[in-house]
Amino acid sequence: MPEAETEVAAELPELNPVIHGKLRLALLSLLSTVEEAEFTWLRAKTSSTDGNLGAQLLKLEEAGYVAVEKKFVLRKPQTLYRMTASGRRALTEYVQALKRLLGSAIDT
Amino acid sequence: MHQDADELATQELTARLSLIENMIAEGRQKTESWGWTFVLWGAAYMAAIVFANVGAPWNEWTTWGHRPLAWPVTMMSALILMYAYIGLSSGKRAKQPETTIGRAIWSMWAAMGISMMIFFVAAGISGRLDQHIYIAVIGAMLGTTNFASSLILKWRAQLFNALVWWTAAVAACFGSVTQSLVVFLIAIFFGQIVFGIYGMISERRLIERSSGAVHA
Repeated sequence: MPEAETEVAAELPELNPVIHGKLRLALLSLLSTVEEAEFTWLRAKTSSTDGNLGAQLLKLEEAGYVAVEKKFVLRKPQTLYRMTASGRRALTEYVQALKRLLGSAIDT
Repeated sequence: MHQDADELATQELTARLSLIENMIAEGRQKTESWGWTFVLWGAAYMAAIVFANVGAPWNEWTTWGHRPLAWPVTMMSALILMYAYIGLSSGKRAKQPETTIGRAIWSMWAAMGISMMIFFVAAGISGRLDQHIYIAVIGAMLGTTNFASSLILKWRAQLFNALVWWTAAVAACFGSVTQSLVVFLIAIFFGQIVFGIYGMISERRLIERSSGAVHA
């Protein structure tokens, strides 16, 4: 790789791998628009399966990007997800990094 | 080869960016699902007018007609019908999550409904309400709420709706009682029925456009 290209690559930001997954990115983007959302609403909006959705939400929860609340409403279990402050920060940083990467792709 | 890989990477990044945009738009897709309530309340206003005037000759029709209970009974029935439908439809699909914008819009409409109810009940009982003022107050209140809602949602069609109601509020202050009823009926038709149907069509289009699976 030429020296100039190496320098550019070093300056480019890395994309957060936790957020980069398509479904996880979709979930964080959805959650950024609401105060909290039910599992069923997220499933309907992303048209994903229960298993996949649950697994991706768990990864976001482990990263501290979403908070989960489980409760019973009229004897029915309800799982609510909301984006944490750290999740919002991470999404903002991800979008900024994405734009910088795209900008550099257009420049080269 | 190197250029192809770069192009692929760029496409991938662009796809991520548009996924974020689509999901944010999807999450914000809320207000137009209330289009049917405009139609319902428009139909309720018209039903109240018909109910109040049934049996009277056409040229004697007024907003209140000859049955003082027509309006309160029809309005309460519309309110019950609206909540019954909301209850039934929310059981069938995933519950819409709460947003700050959604709560702001809902608070405005609820405040307007409560204001109308207490004002009209008090003014009606005290006998200090005439039919011109009745339509003017409804028009002013609906104009205010539609205007505020249009600014929050950045929805130009609703701004037009606010103008319809404000025009009706001004026009209702002039002319005869029957003429003010005609003004009211025109405002109901455009401000509730036509606008509500437009809202329902917009909602359907948005749902059709935004349905798509996202995989990890």
